[in-house]
Amino acid sequence: MSAAPALLEEQFDDPVQQREAATLGMWVFLATEILFFGVLFASYTVCRVLYPQGFAAASRRTDMLLGTLETAVLLTSSALVALALRAIKLDERRSAVLLLAGTAALGASFLIMHGFEYYSEYTEHLVPGVDFLQHGPQAHAVELFFCLYYFITGFHSLHVLIGVAIMTVLSARTAGGSFGPQRYTTCELAALYWHLVDIVWIFVYPLIYLVGRAA
Amino acid sequence: MSARAPHVVPLRRLLWVLAALLALLAASAGSALLRLGPWNTVLNLGISVTKTLLVMAVFMHETEARALTRLVSALGFIWLGMLVALTLLDELTRAATPAPW
Repeated sequence: MSAAPALLEEQFDDPVQQREAATLGMWVFLATEILFFGVLFASYTVCRVLYPQGFAAASRRTDMLLGTLETAVLLTSSALVALALRAIKLDERRSAVLLLAGTAALGASFLIMHGFEYYSEYTEHLVPGVDFLQHGPQAHAVELFFCLYYFITGFHSLHVLIGVAIMTVLSARTAGGSFGPQRYTTCELAALYWHLVDIVWIFVYPLIYLVGRAA
Repeated sequence: MSARAPHVVPLRRLLWVLAALLALLAASAGSALLRLGPWNTVLNLGISVTKTLLVMAVFMHETEARALTRLVSALGFIWLGMLVALTLLDELTRAATPAPW
């Protein structure tokens, strides 16, 4: 089954053209994802320009160690999915299954670490609208920061959760022989999605965790 | 055509990119602890852009993609740049005008 033939839809001349069309379509979707997160980043930029000290004070309340660890985990998972795609193209099914499962596992560990972060912020009364008890001149800006923090990281975690589900399914389907050197477009598109989720986090990391650390 | 071997990224290149990404992560975490004023933000965003270009070029196969795909992948970021720039333009140049009554 690993030599599964490429299924060619009638509107395409050859599998290469079909795959290029699929990749192009995926990038159009990813552009909408960039703008989805872009709105949140734009709001963040405006608020940070308005309240630079408040945002620095709020950022110091986040967990830099966990944030750095989460970034390392996501970067590594991105490399794993790139290796998995390579393995599928080389018809190394066993390592592809393991690499895809490893990607899903790293994504799940990211979510667990984030859960711990959310819990410790809850105990520190840093959840706007639910339990927010901060005082002092920066309290309003801190509330704004954490509001944006929950929207940005919450939607990002949702994307990671979807990615973990996709990687788990793809790992099982690869084990079942659905993909091979002639049929890997689905995996390639899923990998593009996972890399974009990684790129979003690459920008979340300095903007949320690293502001005002030197002060 | 269907028998054409797919393009495969060399293993060493993927591992080098991962090493570079982790090194850049260490650089951004370390530099954040230095007192550089506004340059902290500039440096950290510069590192983020570098990481993104690495991921896109190698992991997302942009260097092998055809021109149209590259153009579309750049467009998302260009629109984001316009969104942030125009929003800031409004926010930074608007004078507060108190109501006359």
